[in-house]
Amino acid sequence: MGGFFSTIFSSLFGTREMRILILGLDGAGKTTILYRLQVGEVVTTIPTIGFNVETVTYKNLKFQVWDLGGQTSIRPYWRCYYSNTDAVIYVVDSCDRDRIGTSKSELVAMLEEEELKKAILVVFANKQDMEQAMTPTEMANALGLPALKDRKWQIFKTSATKGTGLDEAMEWLVEALKSRQ
Amino acid sequence: MFAKLKKKIAEEAAIAPRPGGAARIPRSVSKESITSAGADSGDDFASDGSSSREDLSSQLFRRNEQIRKLEVKLSDYADQIRNLQKIKEKLENALEKHQDSSMRKFQEQNEAHQASRAKMAEGMALALEKKDQEWMEKLGQIEKEKKMLETQLQEMREQSLNLFQKRDEIDELEGFQQQEIAKVKHMLLKKEESLSKTAQELEACTRELTHTREVLQDASDESSGLRKDLQELQQQFLELEAQRDELMTAETNAENKITALELREQELQTVIQQLSVDLQNARVAGSGCEKRLEMIQAEHESLKVEYEQHKQKMTFEFAERNKLTEQLQEKVSSLEKKLERNLSGDEHVQELLKEKATLEQKLDETRQQLVTDRMHHSETVNYLETQNKELEQKVQIATEALKKSKEAAAEQDLKIRKLQTDLEDDISKLQQQILSEKHQYDQKVTGLESQITALETAWEFDKTAAQHKISQLEKENENLHGSREEYESSLKKQESELNRLKNELSSRETVSIEIAKALEETRKQREELQQQVSHLSSLIKEKDQLIDEKCDMLLKQKEELDQLSQEHEAALLQMHQLQSDIEASNSRAAEKEEMARKEIGELKLQVSELEELSRTLNNKHLPSPENRVMEQNGEVAAAGIIQLQKDNRELEQQIAEKNKMIKQLQQRMTELKKTLQKELKIRPDSEVPEVREKANSEVPNASVTVTNNSDLNDSREINFEYLKHVVLKFMSCRESEAFHLIKAVSVLLNFSQEEENMLKETLEYKMSWFGSKPSPKGSIRPSISSPRTLWP
Repeated sequence: MGGFFSTIFSSLFGTREMRILILGLDGAGKTTILYRLQVGEVVTTIPTIGFNVETVTYKNLKFQVWDLGGQTSIRPYWRCYYSNTDAVIYVVDSCDRDRIGTSKSELVAMLEEEELKKAILVVFANKQDMEQAMTPTEMANALGLPALKDRKWQIFKTSATKGTGLDEAMEWLVEALKSRQ
Repeated sequence: MFAKLKKKIAEEAAIAPRPGGAARIPRSVSKESITSAGADSGDDFASDGSSSREDLSSQLFRRNEQIRKLEVKLSDYADQIRNLQKIKEKLENALEKHQDSSMRKFQEQNEAHQASRAKMAEGMALALEKKDQEWMEKLGQIEKEKKMLETQLQEMREQSLNLFQKRDEIDELEGFQQQEIAKVKHMLLKKEESLSKTAQELEACTRELTHTREVLQDASDESSGLRKDLQELQQQFLELEAQRDELMTAETNAENKITALELREQELQTVIQQLSVDLQNARVAGSGCEKRLEMIQAEHESLKVEYEQHKQKMTFEFAERNKLTEQLQEKVSSLEKKLERNLSGDEHVQELLKEKATLEQKLDETRQQLVTDRMHHSETVNYLETQNKELEQKVQIATEALKKSKEAAAEQDLKIRKLQTDLEDDISKLQQQILSEKHQYDQKVTGLESQITALETAWEFDKTAAQHKISQLEKENENLHGSREEYESSLKKQESELNRLKNELSSRETVSIEIAKALEETRKQREELQQQVSHLSSLIKEKDQLIDEKCDMLLKQKEELDQLSQEHEAALLQMHQLQSDIEASNSRAAEKEEMARKEIGELKLQVSELEELSRTLNNKHLPSPENRVMEQNGEVAAAGIIQLQKDNRELEQQIAEKNKMIKQLQQRMTELKKTLQKELKIRPDSEVPEVREKANSEVPNASVTVTNNSDLNDSREINFEYLKHVVLKFMSCRESEAFHLIKAVSVLLNFSQEEENMLKETLEYKMSWFGSKPSPKGSIRPSISSPRTLWP
């Protein structure tokens, strides 16, 4: 009953929450990005054993953003959260050249999931404020993004601590989600 | 019938006796002619010589019968023959001649026939060669075409490969381009926004600037007005200064006059001074007398004073002594009283008395001294009085002298006074004059000065006001300048930014244009390729049509060949028949010749007829070898054609395959485009909660066990922590979030499908019961702060 009304309510006011997953290897800056998006501040984080979920409102669109822990032991649990996901924000540490291969394999494994077939992919080349950061094109090639078919994707260079690039990325994401509707 | 023969024989007989005709006949020829004449013997045949070939058999049959009859007749005519032997010989000669001629004719005809045959053969060979050449040419052409087609096919393949590659590239490019375009659009939008913002700011700035410029202009106008005022005031000032100068000159003139007057005054004063010096001298003389008088008076007075002092001293001493005596007397009296009172103290009294006595002595002494003093004093007084008298005398003398000198002085004074009065009059006059003049000048000067001061004050006031205004204006100006500079700097910045943005925009545009160009180029290439493909396909079609036409032509020619060969075979058959017939008839004729030499004339006729027949037959016989050649050529050509057809078919098949491939690829392209459009347009209905567990619950565990073989304890610890976190979150967060966590929880706790479903149902029930979701905004949770405590 109430659910019915709530669905009507939500359909009337168009406040359907978009479900977004923030994924990536440990230490890429997922939690920082989440709270940067939510409260606009840089928070001190500890390694996420588990996940964080927050409601972020951006341009009249409500996002239920899930920041899943990226440690090797809990990466297999990502797939438990894949259903009904509208978009995936894949965060990569631009300075971590050693683990870019791991990141790529995780990304490829993730994108092969049936439940994420329709999800939009946004790659954040994070930590761009560091000196030896990889360029977005370099990273796109390293992640094999150009080979992706049937997938709407975009790569952005971001710095969660400086707050650069996040707005453009979110704007693009909003536009992509709006155009997809 | 025989009449005809007879006629002919007669004619021949008539012709026979030609000169040298029989001598020319060779033996061999005659023999042949005999056998041939024999073979051709037949009475009816001669009449039927013109009949057709089909009747030959019947004619032969009939001829046989006739021969039998003729045999009968022959026996009858044997005698006649013998009779006719002579005639026969004649006839033989004639016949030989005739045979010779006929043989010649025959040979000629044969030769002609051979020549014609050769010609025919040549013609045919030529035709064949021509045809062969044509065919070869055609074959070559076809082969060329084939090669061309093959090359084209290869090219087509390459092109198609290129096309696919290009298509892929185009897809990629389109993807990139879309992204780039999206980016560029996005950036463009932003830049445009910023541009519009900056433009607005610029406009505002320009407005402000114009406003400030207006203000500045107003201020400058004001300042110019003030400057004008100032200039006017300065002019006024200058005028006043000129006036002042004039006045100053007047003043200087007046001062000159004054100085002249002063000189005169000084002269006068010098005179006065001389006079006064004289007066002073007189006065000094007077004063000297006075001083002497005064000195004398002072001496006198001092003496008086001394005297007085002495007097006073004496009186004072006298008084003191009197007092002392009185005191002592008092004391004595007191002591006497005391003595009276104190009879006991005789000693004391005695002492006191002694004292009294001493004191009385002293008193006496002092009285004596006093008297002496008085005496002395009186003496001194007398002396002084005498002195005084002397002095008074002197004073009188001095006063007299003084009086004299005073009188002189008075006289001199009078003189001086007169002079002074004169001088003073002069001076006063002059001074009055000066004063009046001065007064006038002063008045003028004061008037002018007041004017000047007034003007100066006014001017200064104006000046100060103007300066104030100017300073204010300058300040304003400076402020405005500052603001203008700021605005200008901001304007420059914005302009630079604008330029930068424009540059960026232009660069972006160029990039996009380049991309568009590249795209267009690729499109063009694609179109060109498509055109080429279409062109090639049209070419192929044309070639196919040509091949079809050629095939048709070949078939026709084949049919013609077949017809010709059939005809040839038929003709051969006929020829064989005819040859056999001829052989048969020849043999029979040979027999008949022997038997029917009598009928040689007839037979000769028959022979001629037969010759005619054989000619006709030969005519028919001739084309056979040509036909054979033709047949062979035709076979070769047919084989070539078949091969060509095969090749053609193969090529056609290949082309068809390529076309199919192209179509498939085009379909794929269209499908991809559709899917792209769908992706762009269609919104997936993700609101429906999907239930996709399947084997997912097992996989993560497996992977976990696989990935974490090395440090199992650590992973377990982490997993436990993870489980704890997830369960805590599951219990604490709102339903919409908890719903997504069901799977994670069930995976972590190894829930069965039923348990998981149960969890879902209960959550759905809860969600449906409470309906509107609780909105826990703004509360920061996990990993940073304590988890939210919001219960449904």
